[in-house]
Amino acid sequence: MFKLDEPAAVEQVSITVDGKSTTVPAGATVASVLLEQGKEPFRISPVTGEVRSPYCLMGVCCECLCEIDGVKNRQACMEEVHEGMQVNRQIEEGGE
Amino acid sequence: MNYQYDVAVIGAGPAGMASACSMAELGLSVLLLDEQARPGGQIYRNIENAPESRRNMLGSDYTIGAGLVRQLRSANLDYRSKAAVWQVEPDGTVFFSHEGASHCVKVERIVVATGAMERPVPFTGWTLPGVMGAGAANNLYKDSGLKPSGKVVIAGSGPLLLLEACQLASSGVEISAILETASLLPSLETFAQLPSALRRAGYLMKGVKMLWDIKRTGVPHLKSVKEIRAHGEDKLSKVTAMHNGEVVSFDADSLLVHFGVIPNTAMFSQLGCRHEWDSVQRYWYPVTDAWGRTSLERVFAAGDGTFVHGAGAAELKGRLTALEVAHSVGKLPRSQRDEQAALLQKKLARELYPRPFIDAMFAPDVNAYAFDDETLLCRCEHVTVAQIKDAVRRGCTNPNDVKALVRSGMGPCQGRMCGNAIVELLSMLTSEAPSDAERLRLRPPLKNVSMQEMASMRFEGGE
Repeated sequence: MFKLDEPAAVEQVSITVDGKSTTVPAGATVASVLLEQGKEPFRISPVTGEVRSPYCLMGVCCECLCEIDGVKNRQACMEEVHEGMQVNRQIEEGGE
Repeated sequence: MNYQYDVAVIGAGPAGMASACSMAELGLSVLLLDEQARPGGQIYRNIENAPESRRNMLGSDYTIGAGLVRQLRSANLDYRSKAAVWQVEPDGTVFFSHEGASHCVKVERIVVATGAMERPVPFTGWTLPGVMGAGAANNLYKDSGLKPSGKVVIAGSGPLLLLEACQLASSGVEISAILETASLLPSLETFAQLPSALRRAGYLMKGVKMLWDIKRTGVPHLKSVKEIRAHGEDKLSKVTAMHNGEVVSFDADSLLVHFGVIPNTAMFSQLGCRHEWDSVQRYWYPVTDAWGRTSLERVFAAGDGTFVHGAGAAELKGRLTALEVAHSVGKLPRSQRDEQAALLQKKLARELYPRPFIDAMFAPDVNAYAFDDETLLCRCEHVTVAQIKDAVRRGCTNPNDVKALVRSGMGPCQGRMCGNAIVELLSMLTSEAPSDAERLRLRPPLKNVSMQEMASMRFEGGE
């Protein structure tokens, strides 16, 4: 659970998360957007189906892997949002 | 052979920025590649865009980075952000992914300045959503101004743990408890390092003030805590630990853990640099000389990736490495190199005065690892402590044998998260010292890159 502790950024972009459109701060990382919106877990482990969310937020742990603009297994903590970005959490059983 | 650049610097934290700027000033053609969208590394993350309220909260240890970033912005070099290096070869070939396409460049020298990471310490429940690194939470705040909400427990050890606790408490985050694994009283070895540390008394006073600030908030601060465990179904709900022989329990929405900082050796490992195991700090580090030369002729290392000394030292190490790189490619005579290095070396020595004290004070305690049989060591491939114990019973003696048998270290993080813990568990089980020859192997690509991207790679400059 995370909350914003300052006035919201002025510049916003529109993206879709799990098929629903939303407005988010320009320059934010995909991971920070999902965490702020409470979109957890980020993924389920393809090995066991366990739920997972980011652990390191610096590009090391690979727990934040999401499908971004049609490409699976991208690190949400390293990707900046852009207008029209499509993000899907990898939360389908049996997904990659 | 035509080189497209004299040098490629990998990583735009304090060491990478400093070395890249210095080398550009010395007349080298410099390519600076950084994975992040903006320069600063972890310590100065998002310094250019963070609003004033955030900068004030993070203080001067953060804002001091703005100067270095400004220097980078005006430097005469090729800086590429969002460039994830996924393979580096000892001959100076660098492969990286940038905006959906992969590139390959050939350079005469490489400076790896990939910094440090939080030491991953596996414990039962550490994969539950709601559990993350204290440094991760700090990064989130630097990036986006987000703070943990609900009940927060902070656990582990090290100066950064207390710093994070301090910052969160003073900004109104509800902290249920601070669970510190460090002992109540520093050891005799710690006190032996005090005289050197006192030469930088201001630094120590910062630590004392931090402890005082925490005390004033009234947050329960338990020391000598063992066996931290996270509980919950699909997300964290409770944290337990052993304290004075009794189980303590706290309801929690967030558990922020920190067990110190270790060099991120992934790129050095993939390159094949020689490493040594530091038996006090209990981590692998690439062997370098005072200039940052690794065991490979064309490869240099700078910053906390060589050994964790903090941001101030990282910047100085970066500048020293720059001088030697310039000298090695014939752009700086030896006499000038030494002349310019003298002041930097003096500053670096001064920067390092408190380190032996801090390192002794917060030396990792192997006994703090709970190593329950059901604890997941390898998060990616879901390998438990019990499976690794079993692999050892079946004759495995090193991390690569274990990996071949049970897949630990074979997932997307490539052992970055479990590598250190496996070394600790294996040394406990086999009573053998970690050996460089048997270190967990890490293969390219270092980052997740699609096959399609690799197949359509552009070779810059050509042969």
